[in-house]
Amino acid sequence: MKNMIKNISHIFVITFIVIFATSCLDDLNVTPINPQVTQAFDQNGVFAKAYAAFSLTGQKGPAGNIDIDTEITDEGKSALYRCLWNCNELTTDEAICAWGDVEVIELNTNSWSSSNPTSGSIYDRFYFVISIANHFLEQTEGKTDEATKKQRAEIRFLRALSYFHLMDLFGNVPFTEKISLDPPKQIKRIDLFKWVEAELLAIEPDMYEPKAAPYYRVDKVADWLLLSRLYLNAEVYTTVPETKATVNFPATAAAAGTPRWTDAAIYAKKVIDSDYTLCNSYEQLFMADNAGIIDGSTVNKAPVEIIFPIAADGLKTKSYGSSLFLIGSTHTAGMKEWGCSKQGWGGNRSRSTLVKKFFPTNYGSAFFANDSNLTTWTATLVNRKDNRAMFDRKSLAPSATTLAPQTIENISKFKEGYAVIKFSNIRADGKLAQDIEFSDMDIPFMRAAEAYLTYAEALLRGGQIVGGLEALAAVNTLRTRASARVFTTLTLDNIIDEWAREFFFEGRRRSDLIRFGQYAGDNVTYQWDWKGGEAAGKKIDKKYNLFPIPAGDLNANPNLDQNPGY
Amino acid sequence: MYNHSKLKLRALFTALVIFVFGVAANAQQITVSGMVKDATTGEPILGASIIEKSTNKGMITNLDGAFTITVASNATLIVKYLGYLTVEVPVSGKRNLVIQLKENSVVLGEVVAIGYGTVRKNDATGSLTAIKPDKLNRGLTTNAQDMITGKIAGVVVTSGGGTPGGGATIRIRGGSSLSASNDPLIVIDGLAMDNEGIKGVANPLTTINPNDIESFTVLKDASATAIYGSRASNGVIIITTKKGEKGSAPRVSYDGNMSISTVRNRLEVLTADAFRALVDTLYKGQNDILSKLGNANTDWQSQIYRTALSNDHNVNVTGGFKNTPYRFSLGYTSQNGIIKTSSFERFTGAFNLSPSLFNDHLKMNFNGKAMWAENSYADGGVVGAAASMDPTQPVRSDSAAFKPFGGYWEWLNSTGTANNLATRNPVATLNQKYDVANSNDFIGSAEFDYKFHFLPELRAHLNLGIDAAHGIQDLYIPLEAAGNSPWGRMGSDTISKSNKSLNFYMQYAKEIDKHKFDAMGGYEWQHFYRKGGSTYQGLKKEVYNKTVKDSVGHSYERKILKTESFLVSFFGRLNYSYDGKYLATFTLRNDGTSRFSEKYRWGLFPAAAFAWKISEEGFMKENSNFSDLKLRLGYGITGQQNLGGALIPDPDYAYIPVYAANEEGALYPFGDTYYDTSRPNAYNSNLKWEETTTWNAGIDMGISNNRITASLDYYYRITNDLINVVSVPSGTNFRSKVISNVGSLTNRGVEFTINAKPISTKDFTWDVSYNVTYNKNLITKLTTGSVEGYIVETGGMFQGSAQAHAVGHPANSFYVYKQKYDANGKPIEVGAFIDPTNPSLGKYKEVDAFVDANQDSIINVKDKYFYHNQNADVTMGLASKILYKNFDLGFTLRASIGNYVYNAVAASNLNVGETGIWNSLLFFQNKPVNSFDANFQGTSTLTFLSDYFVQNASFVRCDNITMGYSFKNLFNAISSGRVYATVQNPFVITGYKGLDPEIYGGIDSSIYPRAMITVVGVSLNF
Repeated sequence: MKNMIKNISHIFVITFIVIFATSCLDDLNVTPINPQVTQAFDQNGVFAKAYAAFSLTGQKGPAGNIDIDTEITDEGKSALYRCLWNCNELTTDEAICAWGDVEVIELNTNSWSSSNPTSGSIYDRFYFVISIANHFLEQTEGKTDEATKKQRAEIRFLRALSYFHLMDLFGNVPFTEKISLDPPKQIKRIDLFKWVEAELLAIEPDMYEPKAAPYYRVDKVADWLLLSRLYLNAEVYTTVPETKATVNFPATAAAAGTPRWTDAAIYAKKVIDSDYTLCNSYEQLFMADNAGIIDGSTVNKAPVEIIFPIAADGLKTKSYGSSLFLIGSTHTAGMKEWGCSKQGWGGNRSRSTLVKKFFPTNYGSAFFANDSNLTTWTATLVNRKDNRAMFDRKSLAPSATTLAPQTIENISKFKEGYAVIKFSNIRADGKLAQDIEFSDMDIPFMRAAEAYLTYAEALLRGGQIVGGLEALAAVNTLRTRASARVFTTLTLDNIIDEWAREFFFEGRRRSDLIRFGQYAGDNVTYQWDWKGGEAAGKKIDKKYNLFPIPAGDLNANPNLDQNPGY
Repeated sequence: MYNHSKLKLRALFTALVIFVFGVAANAQQITVSGMVKDATTGEPILGASIIEKSTNKGMITNLDGAFTITVASNATLIVKYLGYLTVEVPVSGKRNLVIQLKENSVVLGEVVAIGYGTVRKNDATGSLTAIKPDKLNRGLTTNAQDMITGKIAGVVVTSGGGTPGGGATIRIRGGSSLSASNDPLIVIDGLAMDNEGIKGVANPLTTINPNDIESFTVLKDASATAIYGSRASNGVIIITTKKGEKGSAPRVSYDGNMSISTVRNRLEVLTADAFRALVDTLYKGQNDILSKLGNANTDWQSQIYRTALSNDHNVNVTGGFKNTPYRFSLGYTSQNGIIKTSSFERFTGAFNLSPSLFNDHLKMNFNGKAMWAENSYADGGVVGAAASMDPTQPVRSDSAAFKPFGGYWEWLNSTGTANNLATRNPVATLNQKYDVANSNDFIGSAEFDYKFHFLPELRAHLNLGIDAAHGIQDLYIPLEAAGNSPWGRMGSDTISKSNKSLNFYMQYAKEIDKHKFDAMGGYEWQHFYRKGGSTYQGLKKEVYNKTVKDSVGHSYERKILKTESFLVSFFGRLNYSYDGKYLATFTLRNDGTSRFSEKYRWGLFPAAAFAWKISEEGFMKENSNFSDLKLRLGYGITGQQNLGGALIPDPDYAYIPVYAANEEGALYPFGDTYYDTSRPNAYNSNLKWEETTTWNAGIDMGISNNRITASLDYYYRITNDLINVVSVPSGTNFRSKVISNVGSLTNRGVEFTINAKPISTKDFTWDVSYNVTYNKNLITKLTTGSVEGYIVETGGMFQGSAQAHAVGHPANSFYVYKQKYDANGKPIEVGAFIDPTNPSLGKYKEVDAFVDANQDSIINVKDKYFYHNQNADVTMGLASKILYKNFDLGFTLRASIGNYVYNAVAASNLNVGETGIWNSLLFFQNKPVNSFDANFQGTSTLTFLSDYFVQNASFVRCDNITMGYSFKNLFNAISSGRVYATVQNPFVITGYKGLDPEIYGGIDSSIYPRAMITVVGVSLNF
């Protein structure tokens, strides 16, 4: 008995010692066992992520494991393209949205504040791309193999593109080329312009030759097109407003911007002369099989024009904020089949000002367009044959004999205003898309047509002719493709309207209006319905030429000054 | 003679252990016979223990309260019975004794668990409440949480609704965290549980059969909880399960009940005829819309609700085989929900063996609790769908159009496909969905307590525990289901976890004169492991052109997750008392967590508490009114490292830089090849412990021999370094917001509890207990920056966010526009005519409808204001129990005052105008009758965020009313028993306009309604 007692005592003592001796403290040094994560840098995986960030919202399609933090509860609403689109389209004469979301209403009526979730999300999305790019460049620093060189050039392109949009939307923004805990300093817009220009010029030699890159990756032509876009807006971006100097960057005195029309024309011409051409069919650019052969389509020739597509795939690359947003938000139950009938959100449709670009004199008559009847206008209209006028005011009408009202009295009624049927998940070759919920259509984020208008506008504004192509001819190339009557003379008014006709609902309108002085400020005379929140439209404060630095970053980063007026 | 039901019943759940050791021989032995009686009622007490002082000799009174014992003639007898004050009776040569025991009203366990040990309730220095489930007045308790609802001051239990087997949210003294978990730590038989549910099981409390629970101890202030250090910031609930009795014969008892659940309250909507009449008026002449009306009269709500039968059976055997007390129990619960197709079925089995060896020097305690549950879920969306589904349409239709949908009537597109944006037929939704979770759980613990032979004051204690659980939730939606047309959906979600723990401590207790020491020091190691996976896919292979290329079927998602964390802790406690009057407790715990980097891994959590038992002072002893009076002061710090799973993808590794792999649907192509992507995740290597400091002052009193006992506590808690998701400068990390330690919040409050026995006679007793709590939560710091008016919006809904965190306001305060009202008290609608009879006066603008706080003539975000919050200012509980002869009657009431709810059901149904009834997405929507009070003709975001929908949801709820009758000696087989009837949730008194005012989270968007349940049950002891 005594022995047993002793044994028991020993057991306890031994247990006690063992516990401490086995060093359970080491257990606290964990390495992740989650198969969903790794600790090693995967060069190709991170590279692909930088591109995917333009299409997807997280690591799970269509939603889940989101990439950014957002004030928008719905992950899809925070998507990069979707937010960029909303900032550049809902705020203009082209698009208006029926939804009641706060952010949408503020954009519809040009009354946003620094807590607008959409402008906040686009900011976060672009800095997400920038952080990934900075990380990629740090991790691949010093690697000189050909594949890495190309990847690094493209990553720098994507970073420059992100800074380009931040510069366009927000003006002076925090700037960093590395991952560091130090809050980035605020760069002035004019300095960011110079940086983007230098960066795009620096990477050109390392990029793929035109058309030599795998589809979905960018080549030299994308670089040229972005440069031409940068130069076209140079005057805007290099204008230094009168405001208190921002910290830590060389203060620049208030000054008018420096236009770069010839440079814009030069780089636009390089694109025009490249291996990219116009797709014969305008509507094929916006259809489910617009990746052509890659989509198994021998009919759709869109890839000849698309320089930088943002990929979507009904099965593998799913997002509520890429092409599905364009298709889903513009359609609703009752409309003619659009190929992903599970998603018809009835939100975005045209303002009357957009429709008037196509039908200026007879606006209000009983015309309509649908996809089987696009070119056979019977009314005697100036621009009656324009393939690009892809509107529908019939299928949502209350009855077969009445038409949807073209004037929007109630923003929240989708059926007021003309539906835009430019985007669909229908294939040009007549086969069915992969999914009835998620779209196969790629967003033609950069396409060659832009170069023609940039070229024409740059020349018209005083750029020097490069290589013989006239401005008028360049514009008429697009109009001819659209079966529209060609212009005989060309004015800047024609150009700004042509930008709308060719690119409406493609997410760029705001910059064009600002460049033409037709957006915000006391001198602006151009109005559109519901501009500034009034049915007839009204002037809006010049502060709206920029979005405010989001409240979250302003609060977190002591180096930042808010844009004037906010 | 066995007609004292109270006594008998108390005996039912009393585990009395008497130690009878050896044979002590002494001279002048006499045989004493006697009787032990209740001093108040005179009833005999059976099972009381009689021990001869300073010996091991003793015995137990029999059924008549009688005993016979042979002792020394000058011996002193110690007479004990649980729930009564122990008395010492000198024999003084008497051979016949009648011993009267006075009831100790502080019955709730003289000894209470305090974490790594026990303490006499009277000697406790911290704020803690110990309760034993009241057998007679507990209502229907399917879940352990039901047993403490409304019973304890400072503890608010909000069930998630009426879902069978559903969980509840427990908050002790308000939430001390903002983003991190606010759940209390639950400790079952010494094993600290994690709070992660598994499929079909909402939280660890669901896995325990309530009948197995012996007692709850709730530790509230830091001086009591700090011994648990980390994870204890939000209080600790210690559950002890029942054990057997040493040396007793096997006793079998059975508890069972049957219950009927009925719908207590429904949303009143328009009848089919009223709806037709409304549509006829609204859309006069619009035949295309009118033609969509049906001829049926369907009450959709009665189509989805039912009266449901449930039953519950428990058998247990207790006894003691030699030195090994044992208890085995089996339980079966079958609960049917009031929404068709929902049910919960659970089997539980538990055993307890508590052998002791070497003259009780080594005590062991083995516990095993196994559970198997099957939870069949009804689609939660049907509650809302049944209210808004067009009542003029039939449930089923023979028309060929509906054949593809299983014959259920559905809103269709012109092409015959289902209109995916319309309200779904709720009956079809229920019947065309199989959503069943199966889960099993095993909790096992082995405790060894060794009292050293050479030094009996020294004890070593080892506790090993494991909680292993596995759950799988299967989903099957057939091809016909309109909601998933045309593919259907099937798949499953699984989760397994295994949490292990080991703790070891040494305890030394010594009394020297008036000094009493009790020192304890120990070590704990815990490992939490979780693994999950899910796969979902469509039923039909693709019919589209890429099928050939893609043979995986219509795969939606596949996911595997594995994660683990460790906690290692060292802890110590010193209890010191002087003269039984002055008590002090000091604790110190050092916790290391694998969730923070090495630099910030360890948290040190000290606590101190002092108590002064004023009633023990000489000057008080003369005052017979106070049988107990104790002043308590406590201070302590506790930590939090549970980051809250919803915040970040991987809370266990938030400080480690990792790359996240992609899942299905998130590949990216280059050329015609799809690539996997790798995303650097945001991380914060500076993450550290969130710390809550608590001050507590309390007073406990007992009056008239503890016939009235009361406690009053004041507490102030401040949490610093809040684990919070905050904005970081863009470009510095991979996200704009990173989990960080930023911000502070405070909770302050007062708790008062009183238990009284207003009547206590032989045949008639009345027990009543009441508790009231006031708590105020306030955010004092939220960011590192200094931007004024910074808010964090929370509580996102369909139209923005109606709640926000901001400095100077309680967490999750409602953040809304201030509604203006017209002369008739109706809310003003933007766009409505100012005077419908005189349209020339124009329409109301936004500034007419809402208060323009900053007077800039624009109503926008800047005009929102903070308006109340979801948490009650005051909560109360009242329980009453009357025993008259063999009858008992009890009820419990619970009140919540000052809690507000955003009535999202009303908000989403506000538009009863032309655009609200015939939806622009081409379907009819029925509306609640009370939506016509405000009679809005349209919608606007501002209106959704109006304070009109933030409604006072104060309430008084009757949790149950129970009547019972106890009996004895039935059919010779049953020694005692009780039959009872209970009405659960019979009424709620509230001014709230929605279905049910009790909404956790403050946003009422149609919860699973809580049923009224009528229960009949029986308890039998064989």
